[in-house]
Order: sequence, then structure tokens, then C-alpha cells
Amino acid sequence: VLQALVDDPADLTIEETVARAREGGLIIRRLPYTGAGMGLAAFLTIVTGLFALVAGARVVRAVNRPLDRALAAMAIPAVSIVLALAAAAVVILVMQPTPRASAFEFEGPLIALAGRLDTLWLAYYTMFAESLGTAKGFADALSFATPLIFTGLAVGFGFRAGLFNIGAPGADGPRRDRDDVRRPLHAGTDVAGAARWRSPRRRSAAAVGRVARLAQGPLRRQRGHQHDPAQLRGRLAAAVHALVEPDLRRPAVRVIQLIGVVVGVMVVALLVPWLRRQMGRGPRVVLALVGVGVLVGAVVVSQPRPGDAPYVLQLPFKVPGSEPKSYELQPTARLPRLPAVFGIDLRQTPGTNVVPVDVALPAALLLGVVALVAPTACGARRRRAPGWAAPPARRSWRTACSRRSAGVRCRGDPAEQPQPLVPDRHRGGRVRALLPLPHALRLRTARLGLSPKAAEYGGASLRRNTVMAMTISGALAGLTATHYVLGGALEDYALRQSIPTSDGFDGIAVALLGGNSPVGIVLAAFLFGVLKNGGSLLNITFSNLTRDVVSMILALVVLFIAAKGFLPERLTNPLRRAKALGDLPPEVGDGKPDRPPDDVPRASPGRPPTGAKEELG
Amino acid sequence: METIVLLTLAASALRATTPLLLAALGGLFSERSGVVNIALEGIMLFGALTAALVTYYVELPHVRDAPGTSVWYAPWLGVLAAMVVGALVAGIHAVVSIRYKADQIISAVAINLMAIGVPAVILTGLFGNNTTSATITNRLPLWSVGPFTFSPLVYLAFALVPIVWFVVFRTPFGLRLRAVGEHPEAADSVGISVTRMRYIGVMLSGVLAALGGAYLSIGAFNQFITEMSGGRGFIALAALIFGKWHPLGVLGATLLFGAFQALETQLGGSALLPPTVVQSLPFILTMLVLAGFVGRSVAPKAIGKPFTKS
Repeated sequence: VLQALVDDPADLTIEETVARAREGGLIIRRLPYTGAGMGLAAFLTIVTGLFALVAGARVVRAVNRPLDRALAAMAIPAVSIVLALAAAAVVILVMQPTPRASAFEFEGPLIALAGRLDTLWLAYYTMFAESLGTAKGFADALSFATPLIFTGLAVGFGFRAGLFNIGAPGADGPRRDRDDVRRPLHAGTDVAGAARWRSPRRRSAAAVGRVARLAQGPLRRQRGHQHDPAQLRGRLAAAVHALVEPDLRRPAVRVIQLIGVVVGVMVVALLVPWLRRQMGRGPRVVLALVGVGVLVGAVVVSQPRPGDAPYVLQLPFKVPGSEPKSYELQPTARLPRLPAVFGIDLRQTPGTNVVPVDVALPAALLLGVVALVAPTACGARRRRAPGWAAPPARRSWRTACSRRSAGVRCRGDPAEQPQPLVPDRHRGGRVRALLPLPHALRLRTARLGLSPKAAEYGGASLRRNTVMAMTISGALAGLTATHYVLGGALEDYALRQSIPTSDGFDGIAVALLGGNSPVGIVLAAFLFGVLKNGGSLLNITFSNLTRDVVSMILALVVLFIAAKGFLPERLTNPLRRAKALGDLPPEVGDGKPDRPPDDVPRASPGRPPTGAKEELG
Repeated sequence: METIVLLTLAASALRATTPLLLAALGGLFSERSGVVNIALEGIMLFGALTAALVTYYVELPHVRDAPGTSVWYAPWLGVLAAMVVGALVAGIHAVVSIRYKADQIISAVAINLMAIGVPAVILTGLFGNNTTSATITNRLPLWSVGPFTFSPLVYLAFALVPIVWFVVFRTPFGLRLRAVGEHPEAADSVGISVTRMRYIGVMLSGVLAALGGAYLSIGAFNQFITEMSGGRGFIALAALIFGKWHPLGVLGATLLFGAFQALETQLGGSALLPPTVVQSLPFILTMLVLAGFVGRSVAPKAIGKPFTKS
């Protein structure tokens, strides 16, 4: 019986497994774990061992400082994850009763308690073990992580420039109440949004995200067909056709009417002296009037008239039929699978699952490396001229966010060269100018949210750099969709309505968890990938748990990170911590001169400023 | 014919305005006290969920035996519970951003994220699916005034505009609230408790936003659907900025946005424009408003800055 269960574990819920085992006469004392996993006891032993190791290592003076730095960087994320998992444990215990077959009774409180613990452990086990223990699961987790690396980098990049791009992901969650508007984010839409971004008001980001999702850059959907001139001609013909086709002409006429009404309202407003005076007082009134004009015009124009025929807007890249997806991309336009790049085709190996990792993943990692190099290069310079940089004291989320982006002018361009305030700043400028990409990316973001005033003093254009940073952030976010459309991470190589738009918000969580450093973001994205993969397995394994538990865990992680893991300020404030450790003379309010390189990003916005000695494993 | 259509449009515009107005007035309290609250969206969702659940479970024993029984107090209990839960959820935001001095945007984003996951978990536990609650029988009643018939929350929302104006601009409480948002150090120096005023402001915003959510789930509809607020919290924020953090301005801005939403509903089925374009109108308007006019709205000076008493 046991062998039969092991051989055929397919998609059985725990209840069914238990019931089947009991039918076979087995005595169930513990829940049946699938796979060869670690028990709770073994896990706790290892965690305790790690604690002991860390505590022991701290005694050794040579490793104490680097260890302390590492712990400091990890403290807030680690504590937050542990707290979130603990909070999720409560939810899991409430939601999921101990699986039991009918007529199966637990005897005594101890066994009942063991059953609860087993349930909990099995839930966490389901979330992590498959991804970390099997090649298929690992690849799945990587596949889940790929888009998160992109969105995470997008948010993180914006953050480093002192902007909080909650719109860059182009999505704030699907609107399930109206399925027809649930559109995917798509490459490019956000770049357009960012270019319009004249005033870096963080809140408008949400609106940008929504517009991005609704407007969805429909014209870009034909990507992949574009290299086919015949189709391009076909589309042009269709566009011309639309103007002569009676069914389409009628709405076109109405749109023109609508524009006419709006113009009319504005003309009338200009003719009425009082209104004209009001409009002179501010663009706000003008906008309100335009709005009213559109309203009135749309109401008038939209009245049904005799002869109206219902029409369906059908764009040329839409697959015929009701299914909301585009044509499938042609093979030459697809991103190859990663194994295929190395000449392995896993599809041909019988019995092997396709490893769903495409080249978007290395692309994401590469971008991460670039983004890593860029700000660090700047940071290194900044350290050499400490008097010029802003004092790093009290560098934290809020100070970072309440500031606006800044930067310094392009050093390679003599026309824009500011007066040399600090000669150091020009060192190596020519060499860097030879490296266009890092040069552009360095982008003054590093100088960044850190110290906008200092940057402006140095001749930076706050406005232009803000737009630039936001544009790059949007470009990173737009790349997310390549994974789904060009990489075929969903069922096929096509744009589908079901593209998971929640990646946008998850990217915020990833950026926060990763401390806005590229390495951290990649690691955090992988953790999220593991959790998401596990979440989809929760659906299968448990009757009452869904992947929403995972999304709740992610939200809690963000909340706890925002609250700095509820750690006391003694540990989270770098200055106070340094003083407590005796690294700083008490009268020094600034960074110490021999700060190690790692400290620089730590002072940047978003990087968990510091840490705790009592690190959790 | 035309007048009827226009009347219908006006009525549906007022209905669409209501949740926006409630949330925006709530946001006004919070932001006037110096705490950015983009968690309005999430709080609305929690309010909607609570109202639907409480109403459902209060009426359940009566309705189970005789379907269609009218239990007049059920929806009102739902509204009350929504207000309490709204205050609690806003309380989380307040504690994290005031007590722990977290970035206010991030803690609010966390709440918005939770508003996606937590209701789904609760719905799974109670109803076995993760998108909708069971339908309720006793919605909020409809009150007729003249040719219009509205839910009481609609009247409440519009009645709140002068009330909020009076409270914020004509009472000692309002003066303290604004002082805390403009210059907390000065307020502190004359003995006003900055943290206390901010807690009150944020929790009031939670109460009002949750009212807006309750209107969605048991006023305009008869069940809770995941993410049913559909961005209204964010639009309310935009209206708050467009309306210069002033109740009357907020009223005008939300009316404009509400009218667009009503138009969206009306145009949705017509042949004028593809539905996606019409649906994106309010958001495009929001973005235009924020992109072009934010610089001219003068925000409370200390907004977004945690206060550290020295």
C-alpha cells in the first residue's frame, strides 16, 4: 500500500492520502510527507547550529567586522521574513484543520498538537522543498523569479534616484471585477508615461500604472509580426479601409463631433469675460473646463441614433475568436530556452520535464550587474570627497523618499561641465565616457536621492535627471513582459490577457527586501520565485490553502520592512550602532574616514541601514 | 427622452462620486495632519469586505429559514463594523509610520498589498472561493428625495463636505490638525501632541475610506468581490490633490471624476469608442491632473515627514 502511495502521489490531497493509507491498514501517526524532506526537528537543529556558528565566529576578531557588516545588511530583511512567516503560521493553523480521514480520531492533546505542527510544517515544506530540492522545481522558481528581477530592478533604480516608482510596473493588480479591462503591462507603455512625468509626484505613479495597463500600448502588440513586411502592408491597408468602411466611419465621425464640442466649449468660455478671467488665473480651471466639455460632448454624441449598428473593434493582431490573446509569435522572434542555447533540448529527452528558463533570466542578471557597477562607481568617488557629499547621518527610508532625485551633469561632456568644485570629481571622466552604457546608467542616480541639494549645487539638472531615472526605471519594468510574451513563460508565445500583472507590486516588495542593491534584488526575487512556486503547490496539496497565503506573506514582509522589523533604533540607526560598537568617537556626526566599500550603498536610500548583532538564521 | 438620459447620468454620476468623495475626505484628514495615506485603496477594500461579511452573518440566521426576510439593522451593523475595521487598518498604517517612523508610502503600499491577499484568504476560508463572498439579501436601504433615489451613504457623503469644512477650518481641533501638518515643531511647542493628532487624523481617514468601501459592497452591490474598489482609492487621492486639500475643492474634483466614471458606464455599451479607451478616461484625466497641476497645489508643509520630538 505504501509503495502504491509513493508511486502514485499525483495530485492527492492530504485527506485522500491519509484515507487511502488507512484503507490499506497503515497506522498513521504522522502526516505523510511527499518526497525526501527534512523534518521539523532536523530543520530546527540546523538553525540552532547556524546560530551557534555565528555566535562562535563573532568571538574571532578577524571575522568580526565583515561578519557584523553582513549581519547588519541582512538583519531587517531576515527579521521581516521570519516575522511574516510566523504571522502566516497563525493563518495557516486557523485555515487548515489537521487533515484526517473520516472516523479517524486523534487521541489526546499531545497527538493533536503534533498534528497541528505537522500541518504547519508540511505547509512550509510544500512552499520551499519542491523549488529547492528538485531540478524542475528550481527551474520553475527561476522562471517565477525572472519577471520579479526586472520589476524589482525598476523599483530599486527609481528608489536610488529618490523616486518611488509604484507605477513603473505598469500594474497594480488585476481588476477582476471587470475582466475585459484586465490587460497586460507591456514594454514601452511606461516609458511613455515616464516621459510625461513632469513633476515627480510619487502618487501619480499609481495613475501612470493604471493608464499603462488600460492603454496597454496596443500598437506594440504586433511585436514579432513586425519583421513581416507583408503583414505590415496588410495592416496599413486595414487602417485605410477603416476610414471608408461605413461601420467604422460612424464612430469616427462621432469622435470628430466630440472634439468639435470640446473646442466649442472652449471658444464659448473664451468669449465669456468672466470665464476668461478665471481661466487666466490658472491652468486648473482650463483643465476643469476641458473636462466638462468632454463630458457634455460625450453625453450628446453618445446618444443612440437610428441606423447605429453594433460594431466590434478588432485590431489586426488579435487572434480570431473570443479568446483574448494575440497571434503566436513566429519562431524566429522567440527567445530561445536557456538549455537550447547550450545545445541541450530537454524536450527530446523522454520523461524529463521542460525546464522553463529562457534567456530573459541571464538578461535580467546582466542588467543587475550593470546596475550594480553604475552606482558603486559613483559611490567610490563620493567617498573620496566626503566634504562634498551629504552627511550620511540618519539615512533611512523616509529621508530617502522625501527627497527628490538629483544628480550631476554628464562629466564627459565639456559643454555641460560645471565649475570644478572638487577636483576629484573629474578624475577618470574620460575613461568612463568610453563606456556609454554604464556612463549613462551611472546617470547621476548615485548622487541621487542622497543629496539633491548638493547635486544641484554641483550644476545638476534635477528635472532632466528625474525624467531620465524614471525612464530607465520604466524601461526595466517594460522588459518584464518579454519573459511572458517573447519567452513563452505562459502556455504559448503570445500576448495573453492573463499575464500576471501583480508582478508590479511584487517588484516593490522585491526591491525593498533586496535593499535596492542589485545583488539583493536578485536574491529576493529568487526567494519570491520559490514562494510563488510553492504557493501554486499549496493549492494542490491542501484543501483550504491557496496561493493567496503567499501573497499575504509578501505583503507582510513589506510592512515589517517598512517598520524596520520592529527592531529598536539602537540597532537600525547606523550612527547609533557604530557608536555603540565603539567604531566612532562620540563627537563624530559623519561617516568615518576608513569606511569600507560596503558602507556606501548602505547609506543609500532603501538599503536597510544597518543591523543587529542578534541575527536570526 | 434627453432629459431622462441626462437625469440618469446625473444620478449615476452622484453614485459614482460617493465612494470617491468619502475616501477623499478621509484622505484630507490624514494628509492635513501630515501623513500621506495612499492606503485608502486598501482600507476601502477592507471596509467593503467587513461590511459584506458582517451583514451576511447578521442576517444569516433570519434568512436561512425564510429567504428574503428583511433584517433592517443588518446592513447598518455592517457599516458600523466597516468603520471600526477601517480605523484599525488605518491604525496599522499610523503605528508603522508614526511610531516606527517608516516611510509612509511603503507602509501604505504594504497595506494595499495586504488588501489583495488577505481578503482572498478570508474568502477561501469562509466561502471556498477566493474572489467573491456570498450575496447578501439586506442591502442598505434606498431613500428617495424628489426624483432621485439614493443609498443613505450618498447623502452622508455630500452632507460631510460642509461638516468636514467646518471641523477642519472652524474648530480648535481642525486648527490643531492643520498646525500639526504644517509645522509640527511649532504645534509641539504650544503643547499640542503631534503624534496624537496624527493618529486621530489617520484613523479618521480609515473610518471614512471604509465607509466608501462599505458603500461599494452593500450599497451599490450585494456582495464583496476581490479588488472591487478598482483604483478608486488612488483616484480619491488624485482628487484630494486636485482639490487643493480643501473640502470644497475635493467635492468638485470628485464630482468631475465621478462624472467620468458614470460616463464610462454609459458609454461602455455604446458604439462611440472601444470600451478600453473609455475606461481609461478617468485615469488619463487623473494623470493629467497630477502631471500638470501638482506644482500649483500647496500641500501641507510637513506632509510625509515623521516627527521626532527633540
